[in-house]
Amino acid sequence: MKLRLFAAALPTALACAIIGLSSPTPAEARIKLATLPDREAVAVRFDHPNQVLVEEERTIALQAGVNNIDFSWAGTNIDKGSIVFRPAAADSKVEILSTSYPPGENALTWAVSSPDARSEKFRISYLMGNIQRETSYQAMVSKDETTCSFKHYFKIRNWSGESFAEADFITRDGKKFEKALSQGEAKRVLVNKWDNVKIKKEYVYDLTRQYEGKVLTDYVLVNSKDIGLGQIPLEFGKVRIYQDDGKGTAAFTGEDWGRFTPIGDEMRLNIGTAQDIKVEFKKMVNDVTNRRGNVYDTDELDQYEIKNFKDSEVILTLVLRVDGEWEMMKDASGFESFERMDNETVKFRVKCPPKGAPVLLKFHYQRKDVW
Amino acid sequence: MKNLLPALLLSLLAAPLCAKEELVTLPKRDGVQLTIYNSEDLTLVRETRTLSFKAGENRLQFSWANTLIDPTSVEFQALADKEGNLEVSDTSYPAESHEMLIWTITAKKAASHQVQITYFTSGISWSAEYTGLVAADESAMDLTAYVTVHNRSGEDYEDAEVRLVVGVIHLVEKVINLAQPATSRAMDRKEMEDWARDAPNKSPSGPGRGGGGGMSKPKQIDKAGLSEYYIYSVEGTETILTNWSKRLRSFSVAGVPLKTVYHLNPAKFGPEFTKVLEFKNNEECKLGKEPLPDGLIRLFRQSASGTGYMGALASKYIAKNDEVKISVGSDPEVTLKEKRKSFAKQDLVFQQRGNNRVVSGWTTLEEFEIEVKNFRGREIAVEIHRSAAGDHDFDSEDKPEVENFNTRKFRFALAANSSRKLVFRITTRFGENVRAK
Repeated sequence: MKLRLFAAALPTALACAIIGLSSPTPAEARIKLATLPDREAVAVRFDHPNQVLVEEERTIALQAGVNNIDFSWAGTNIDKGSIVFRPAAADSKVEILSTSYPPGENALTWAVSSPDARSEKFRISYLMGNIQRETSYQAMVSKDETTCSFKHYFKIRNWSGESFAEADFITRDGKKFEKALSQGEAKRVLVNKWDNVKIKKEYVYDLTRQYEGKVLTDYVLVNSKDIGLGQIPLEFGKVRIYQDDGKGTAAFTGEDWGRFTPIGDEMRLNIGTAQDIKVEFKKMVNDVTNRRGNVYDTDELDQYEIKNFKDSEVILTLVLRVDGEWEMMKDASGFESFERMDNETVKFRVKCPPKGAPVLLKFHYQRKDVW
Repeated sequence: MKNLLPALLLSLLAAPLCAKEELVTLPKRDGVQLTIYNSEDLTLVRETRTLSFKAGENRLQFSWANTLIDPTSVEFQALADKEGNLEVSDTSYPAESHEMLIWTITAKKAASHQVQITYFTSGISWSAEYTGLVAADESAMDLTAYVTVHNRSGEDYEDAEVRLVVGVIHLVEKVINLAQPATSRAMDRKEMEDWARDAPNKSPSGPGRGGGGGMSKPKQIDKAGLSEYYIYSVEGTETILTNWSKRLRSFSVAGVPLKTVYHLNPAKFGPEFTKVLEFKNNEECKLGKEPLPDGLIRLFRQSASGTGYMGALASKYIAKNDEVKISVGSDPEVTLKEKRKSFAKQDLVFQQRGNNRVVSGWTTLEEFEIEVKNFRGREIAVEIHRSAAGDHDFDSEDKPEVENFNTRKFRFALAANSSRKLVFRITTRFGENVRAK
């Protein structure tokens, strides 16, 4: 009872370890309070995508024989089942005999056997809730849009109920930074920065991403060493993109969610709409052919008139869909390359001359056995 | 008017977070720049200040109570710090305030630095408007473009460099949602647009309220392309107080040649026979230096008796070299009438159903006539789109163009005080008569 009162009286609800000198029963041991050893080191680890592991070290004075060590907490969300207690030294002579859980309490008692009186360093780790993490990125794109500096930020918001006077925070990719973090406080740290990262700009008319006939502007960067990245997988996070305006300042040019990008994979970021590229769709042929009772084929010609009003030529990628069984006719024209991405989806790359000169993509196909 | 600009404080102690701090308010900003976007409720504010740093840790507090600043966007950057004297160790967001952050900045040596603080704010928008003064014979117009900045951010911006961004930017979260706790609610984009439309009536700008900075000529607006955007930079600085709007002239061009075309095109201009004024955003039309951002185009006609209102169009973004078509509605002096001159059925096909013979296939033959009359004293251009449904043939001696698989297009010029009749036949097959080619 004393212990619980003591714990509750702490300014923030710290988990505390308390040692009982020696006793036949756990209850008695918890009354025989001897010391409250301070934490010597705390690490807060974010290796798991959803869980936060807190690992702390404490040196506890043991007596020869069985020692009972109490560990209790209040106001924090510690997963009781996740608590692991072990000597820090691999060759320690100390043994953990048992763990007891008092009823209705956020506490447990370890029975520890020691061959002699000694000070032993222990490591206690547990999963703690209500510590939020957030990854974000900032890309500063060069004026010519071929490279960027890519900053990786890690932000922690501490709602755990515990204040960390000093702790090592370790990100999923092993980056460590030492910070104090109070209850309720958030802290953002720059954890990585890569310069001269190569990026590719793409114009995409993609009916699987939007239905309004807009041309999207994407930046594509591959998480590989070839382009200046490739050191760690890139966590999911918001990417804010700025561009050097050539006048000593930068303009914000858009933001997107960057998906989790393993090493070798690509991250595609939409920055906005390319209003200077217009696509106008017309169905030029829509005939029924080869009728057999209520079954027929169709002959369809979808025409996309593309006008690029920029001062230079661009390549436009068009991602289109045709449902059902179909095949493209040989006289389809107006494209540089064609790829059938899956049965329903096709990708064309079209070279678009500058200053509004129209180019026609004629997607001629035949649907089979429609009823 | 109360100025609610963000406050910047620097702690004098190289102290940990829990230590008692002595904070001082820092000197005024050296400058402020607003980059205002028109596709989103978003403004990038960039302010510069000169600060003195001690060697070691410096703690810089930035707070923005009662404003619409997105806390996740606030960034600190040392300018002209090639030696890397300053480094942001971390950014702390204290639990007690949603409207404050503290940078811990490590300086290798004591020095004075110009620093830049950038952040996003909601509540400032801009829009484009155009006024066209059309010549009496509609052959040309004088076009003037304006940009109007609307400030509902809760902040006064004095002597700010103003940049306006033309383009559609992609945001994954609204700045207003990031700026405000869930309990309070700001205007959404539509409300802001409504407010902006009415703003000139509510808050007419008066003399002495930054109405031109003492300049005798309208300010120049420099336009430059950046990625998919155009940035309009207003000459000098502007003072834009909260709840005020300010309109500036973007450009003015006299004698933009116009073409008048009468359209029957239900897909684009509705079911009416519509008069459309056309021009191109190119050099030939004395334009084409930059795209024209989306905005309201109002047309007035000059005549001997004065100026008359012709109409208005909410125009979309007009790229360089793209064409502009402004519908000014129907014109009683140019009429169109369509008649169905004949209708007949043929090729009836029957099917036996029990004791009855029922029709299971048929073909209709229809002949139409469209007559266009031009009562005006000048030649006009006409463009007529005519669609038909189902399995049909379209036949006409007037040689229409194929617009798409079910639409034909007639284009012709019509002399002053004349008329023309178009005749076409539509053969439509139904039921079992529908062809398989």
